[in-house]
Amino acid sequence: MLLNVQNITKRFGGLIAVSNLSFSVEGGEILGLIGPNGAGKTTFMNVLSGTFPADSGKIEFDGHDITNKAPHEICQLGISRTYQIPRPFPDLTALLNVTVGVMCGKRRPHMGFGDALLDASHCLEFVGLFGKRNILARDLSLYELRVLELARAIATTPKLILIDEVMAGLNPAESRRAIKLIGRMVEEYHVTLIWIEHVMKIIMEATDRVVVLHHGEKLVSGSPREVSNDPKVIESYLGKKYV
Amino acid sequence: MVKVKLEHKRGRLVLHIGDLKLECTIEPRRWRNPLLAVAVLVLLPPLFFHRPDILTLLTTANIYACVAIPVAWQMIGIGRMNFGPQIFIGIGGFAAALLSIHLGLGPLQSLPLVIIIGLISGFILSPLTIVAKGLYYSIITLVLPLVFMQLTYVYSNIFGGEYGLSGVQQLISLGSMKLNFLVTFYLSLLMMLVFMFVVNSIFRSRMGLFAAAINDDEDVANALGLNVNWWKIVCYTITSMMVSLTGWFIAYNVGGFSGETYLPLSFMLKILLIVMIGGRGEIYGTLIGAYFVSFLETGLRAAFGSISHVLFPLILLILLLTLREGLYGLYSKHRYREYYPTVRVRKR
Repeated sequence: MLLNVQNITKRFGGLIAVSNLSFSVEGGEILGLIGPNGAGKTTFMNVLSGTFPADSGKIEFDGHDITNKAPHEICQLGISRTYQIPRPFPDLTALLNVTVGVMCGKRRPHMGFGDALLDASHCLEFVGLFGKRNILARDLSLYELRVLELARAIATTPKLILIDEVMAGLNPAESRRAIKLIGRMVEEYHVTLIWIEHVMKIIMEATDRVVVLHHGEKLVSGSPREVSNDPKVIESYLGKKYV
Repeated sequence: MVKVKLEHKRGRLVLHIGDLKLECTIEPRRWRNPLLAVAVLVLLPPLFFHRPDILTLLTTANIYACVAIPVAWQMIGIGRMNFGPQIFIGIGGFAAALLSIHLGLGPLQSLPLVIIIGLISGFILSPLTIVAKGLYYSIITLVLPLVFMQLTYVYSNIFGGEYGLSGVQQLISLGSMKLNFLVTFYLSLLMMLVFMFVVNSIFRSRMGLFAAAINDDEDVANALGLNVNWWKIVCYTITSMMVSLTGWFIAYNVGGFSGETYLPLSFMLKILLIVMIGGRGEIYGTLIGAYFVSFLETGLRAAFGSISHVLFPLILLILLLTLREGLYGLYSKHRYREYYPTVRVRKR
């Protein structure tokens, strides 16, 4: 088992954003994390990546207890993430954006700056951005920013990547390219994914298993087909009359 | 036995010392123009041997640059606007003056002590870069030097109050006043060039990349595995020590040190303007900015007298608004570094 989440709770004052959430992820699995707006998906991702400390519960990753560890320690252990709204380093070129990931991710003490640039260029080539390596990140299009985030995520040499709504704002053609890219990423880099997405068609096609959150709690967990036919899920998304 | 090996690799010199790996870019465009600028700065001043006023002006410009260079690095390395690095000029200056007056230490003897005092005081104040963000950080740093200035008044028996300390040993004493001015200029130039070389090397290394990442978005840099707090503390501590060294130089150069001159906000605003007008984040820009501001200030005072107090900030404000990339931006159009050679194919 790669990731084991046990009874994680996160509160913001009186609001319980994530409540007693437990699930586990096997290595090589693609886990979809879905739920209506405000269900606590991104908050959970922030807790998992160390951005927010958990109020209670325990997270084990690859044999290490990572509960409330600092984000950089979690990243160096092998968890990388992307953001719902792309957050590149706007004043750095695409190549240097990825180089930061190469140099700071998994510890590689013998890696020089030149080697890191070469490694970063491989990541950029993989996502199809090598031609734009010397363009400042602030001048890239939305699709390019999304794939730059993916390149930055794989540059840290992760075992688990948290993908947060990578399709938001992309047109159908770009979405198809992004899905294909994520598929190749899993095949070639042997990474495990936790994928938050609102586009149900993609989640149903691309994931092995789905966890549904509602009001911060786990509603259902199972295969995409089981989950999509579950009355509780339909009710949480569409209301009682559609059940 | 530590294994040492030097090799030429992809346009870089790579030095291996055991497990340590140091790299240096050897592209001519990296050093050709800076070398020309240094040659001008070294060869021109002897022409003004009989004009101590001009030599003093050039020395002042170098001292401004010595403060502006670490401040420029700090602004990027911690991703915050520090309005009060002059507190470290005060710490370095008073430390040097007190060591000279009470213990009779000369410049070279007090140098290591001032470096240690600068590092320790920088390290003590460095947690500010972690706990305070944005406007709060700026306000705290704005107030710190003013508090220090008040302390120099309260403990005037130690710091000399408004008049400061005097009776510090001279930096150099060569018999001829004119020669003293010239050699002082060269010493200030040497210090400035060392600062510039160190910071420039850091900017071109992985540390520079980390600084740029922290400046852009420290949360994302942290999520990518960068220990942001550690690098901010390192940056703040080293830059504070560099500013302290400038205070040490001033104390021995002037033969005393007064908080009234260097601790008020007006001095710091001049340094910030130098950084902004030179070009934010451009190390060579701080040199251009320092010389420009020094000459502008003195020139306006000579030409317009008391009205220069209005004209000087007015001209700087106009320049700030019109030159977004600073004076250095005029010299070098922004060109993103090509890390790969471009292959040109001739069409037949």
